[in-house]
Amino acid sequence: MPRQKITEYRAKKLLIGDGYKGIAVSSTTKGLPKSGRFVVKVDQGVKRRFKQGLVALDQKPGAIPKMLKGWQTRGFSQFLIEPYLVHKPSEERYLSLERVREGIRALFAGNGGIEIESHPKSIKKFVIKKPADVAVVAKQTKLPVPFLEHLIDVFDQNFFAFLEINPLVVRGNTVHLLDAAVMVDSAGAFFVRDGWSETDTASRVHHEAEERVQALAKTTPASLKLTVLNPNGSLFFLLSGGGGSIVIADQAALRGCGKEIGNYGEYSGGPTREETHLYAREVIQLLINSKAKKKTLIIAGGVANFTDVKATFAGIIDALREEAERLRKMKVKVFIRRGGPNEVEGLAEMKEFLKRAGLFGSVHGSEAVITAAVDDAIDYLKL
Amino acid sequence: MIGHQPAIIQSILDFDYLAGREPSIIVLIATNRRAEKYFFGEKEMLIPCYPSIDQLPLADRKKVNWMLNLQSGRRAYETTGAFFAAFPKALGGHIFAENVPERQATDLIKRFGDKYFLIGPAGVGLLVPGSLKLGAIGGITPTQLAAAHAGTPGNIAIGSTSGGMTNELIHAVSEAGKRISFAACVGGDRFPVVSLTKLFTMAEEDKQTKTFVYFGELGGVDEYEIVELIKSKKFTKPLVAYIAGVIDEAFTDHVQFGHAKALVQTQNESARAKRDALRAVGVTAPETFPAFLKALKKLPAPPKKDPEMNSESLMHREKSLLSTRKINPDPSVSFTENILTALLGRKPKSRITTTFTGKVFSLLIDHGGHVSGAVNTMITARAGKDLVSSLAAGLLTIGPRFGGAVNAAAAAWLRAVEEGVPPREFVETETKAGRLVSGIGHKKYRGGLPDPRLRELRTFADQLKKHPHLDFAEGVEKVTTGKNGSLILNVDGAIAALLLDILAEAEGLKHKELVTLIESEFFNAFFVIPRTVGFIAHFLEQKQNDEGLFRLPDNLLFERED
Repeated sequence: MPRQKITEYRAKKLLIGDGYKGIAVSSTTKGLPKSGRFVVKVDQGVKRRFKQGLVALDQKPGAIPKMLKGWQTRGFSQFLIEPYLVHKPSEERYLSLERVREGIRALFAGNGGIEIESHPKSIKKFVIKKPADVAVVAKQTKLPVPFLEHLIDVFDQNFFAFLEINPLVVRGNTVHLLDAAVMVDSAGAFFVRDGWSETDTASRVHHEAEERVQALAKTTPASLKLTVLNPNGSLFFLLSGGGGSIVIADQAALRGCGKEIGNYGEYSGGPTREETHLYAREVIQLLINSKAKKKTLIIAGGVANFTDVKATFAGIIDALREEAERLRKMKVKVFIRRGGPNEVEGLAEMKEFLKRAGLFGSVHGSEAVITAAVDDAIDYLKL
Repeated sequence: MIGHQPAIIQSILDFDYLAGREPSIIVLIATNRRAEKYFFGEKEMLIPCYPSIDQLPLADRKKVNWMLNLQSGRRAYETTGAFFAAFPKALGGHIFAENVPERQATDLIKRFGDKYFLIGPAGVGLLVPGSLKLGAIGGITPTQLAAAHAGTPGNIAIGSTSGGMTNELIHAVSEAGKRISFAACVGGDRFPVVSLTKLFTMAEEDKQTKTFVYFGELGGVDEYEIVELIKSKKFTKPLVAYIAGVIDEAFTDHVQFGHAKALVQTQNESARAKRDALRAVGVTAPETFPAFLKALKKLPAPPKKDPEMNSESLMHREKSLLSTRKINPDPSVSFTENILTALLGRKPKSRITTTFTGKVFSLLIDHGGHVSGAVNTMITARAGKDLVSSLAAGLLTIGPRFGGAVNAAAAAWLRAVEEGVPPREFVETETKAGRLVSGIGHKKYRGGLPDPRLRELRTFADQLKKHPHLDFAEGVEKVTTGKNGSLILNVDGAIAALLLDILAEAEGLKHKELVTLIESEFFNAFFVIPRTVGFIAHFLEQKQNDEGLFRLPDNLLFERED
């Protein structure tokens, strides 16, 4: 996965260092502060957190457990408690940094806060291409140069892709980061030392199948991706190729079946038979668990450059064979369109298996349009 | 070629072959091997390998125009930098890996983006039919290459962010009876080094290209570069485009799709917004993929007929034991010279080499019946075994302590002279490490009782301008005999030193070539060949005497009682 949010706790640890006084908690009782005034928030990369009531300002310790319990019942599990900084709304600034083609783009607004999106014209834009550009930004934003330099240093060293501080309070040479959101470049994980790691990523609650596929993907150079969209959908996808998979999903949307899509995902980059078997098994289980009345499995992709159709199809057949009986009883039909190395052999073996197992929907090779299988599946659903 | 992915490399060679070109792959920077074997057509060829770019020989450097970097996202950045540092005049390259960090990608853009055509990171590279296949693009089997008409230059340019869809488009264009001028996949990463601007500018400038076919996805704002180019009339050719990703609208949250860039962060990054912006400047951008394919059918017909592409012959190839050394004995020259020609793979350049070899062979035929190998040959012969078995018993005795030290000595002398290690330091290091110095020491001869064979060998040094290896070996001898009189330079050590000096001076072999000879155990052949004759002689004598089975006399075997 490319750009990923990390927790606000980790982000601030990296930005502020040892002086950071925030506490990350996942329990509603243990590790809570005894005295002081605090800001309490959900720390799971949720957007528009304030507007959703997931941030509570100026709380006394006694009020915190009840607050956290309330959020827990809403399905959240990671929280952040920070000392509350008394300040005037007029002190709030907005700052973001994003890596762009030419360097780092900085956006700044003198009037920060949760309503920043409603006054876009007050945002100043800079692109920092070389170290000397920092001075220009400092001059126009009145942010201290050492602060900006430190920020950019942390940004670069930790392979940040995006950083947003809103609000930000500047008092002389001291800068207070009240709320911070950071997206890291996950490809940088290998190069980051003593910074963030994969355990710091803050994301929505994952489906177990997604987690298993992520774990599997870490053990292979091939690409294996899975996102569960509608657990009770009727179109389940075993797609290959980053681009081809979108074209096929698009076709379902264009034919008015977007909501019927159970999952999005793709396998590419030459996974082995075994890897494909394990990946296909997850999609097949999602399909089995769906409560939709009529269900289809679409195994489709473009004409591969180097992924071996015969080997990957052998893996998919292995996974289908495990559940062939249940799939047949559910009247699941399988629709295929695929091309690439060893296409003829791969398709022939798949066709023979599907016919014997009573799962045959249709099988197309590179002579057919890339959308042939999904079209056939939708025709079947609409019968 | 940096990194090793056999299927991709073979497909590039097949492309070259089918297009009627010479092999375009010059060297591999990969593996611990000296060379990797591939097919070119139905025949086999070796592609030389080097562990790093700075070890490439100068002769090969001149031929390099392109880099194909097949390493992982962790290493590709560093080796790409090393490539352009070594080949500032190269045209460009392709980085295959996904997961090159954004920071490294933007740095590559800054350093190499203007000067070179560096396509990627990620994607499948660049294909110019009939001329260049840089990457997995167009497929990896001969059937795919033939179906893509990869040998026929056409007039339709293909650009795509997706590797798989690049091939799908090549396939679709080909199926529609059209041919491509070039196909390029910029990759699905956020910061591709070759930008769409660069790609479209290239298509505009290319006289062969009449039309452009483009595949893009949701996420990023690169397609607005195309809009700007069209508005400013910097791109004027007809464009057919498909922007995938309307599916994203079916969900409440934006979904991260397969490619790194395929995530909508702002409204103008959506597939619909980008498609509408392209339509607004006159681009044919159909809503569905089937409609997009229909639009391809209206593209101009190819200017040329397809040349013959016989991919069938490339389908069932078996790797063999490769042998390129042809040994044609020349009866007009001496036996020794014929042997040398066979061993070196070419005729010796200097008479000194042949005379020296002849002398070595004569001296080493035999050294009496006491030596280990001869003893084993004789005992085996007396056990009733045949010629080949008895000879093998003797030959199998040759090793580090008997006869087989020539090669090890050569390795030691060559390395020490190359590194300029003084003899005393060399001896110290070897002693401290608890190693015996190969080529030093004799059971019978010692200081004051010299090996008579050595005097004859040393006369060859006088015929050379310089003899650094012999000088060094004698320097070592001076140090070792100072410690123990029996640690003289022995015949193995002297042959090794002189042979190195002769091969370097009289045969003009470079250091690297000498290393290659040592690594293939060339020097031990100078003992094995003549001594074979000696062993056979001992065998014949034993057979003629016919003494019967040998048993070690009781007084020669000491049995220890526990």
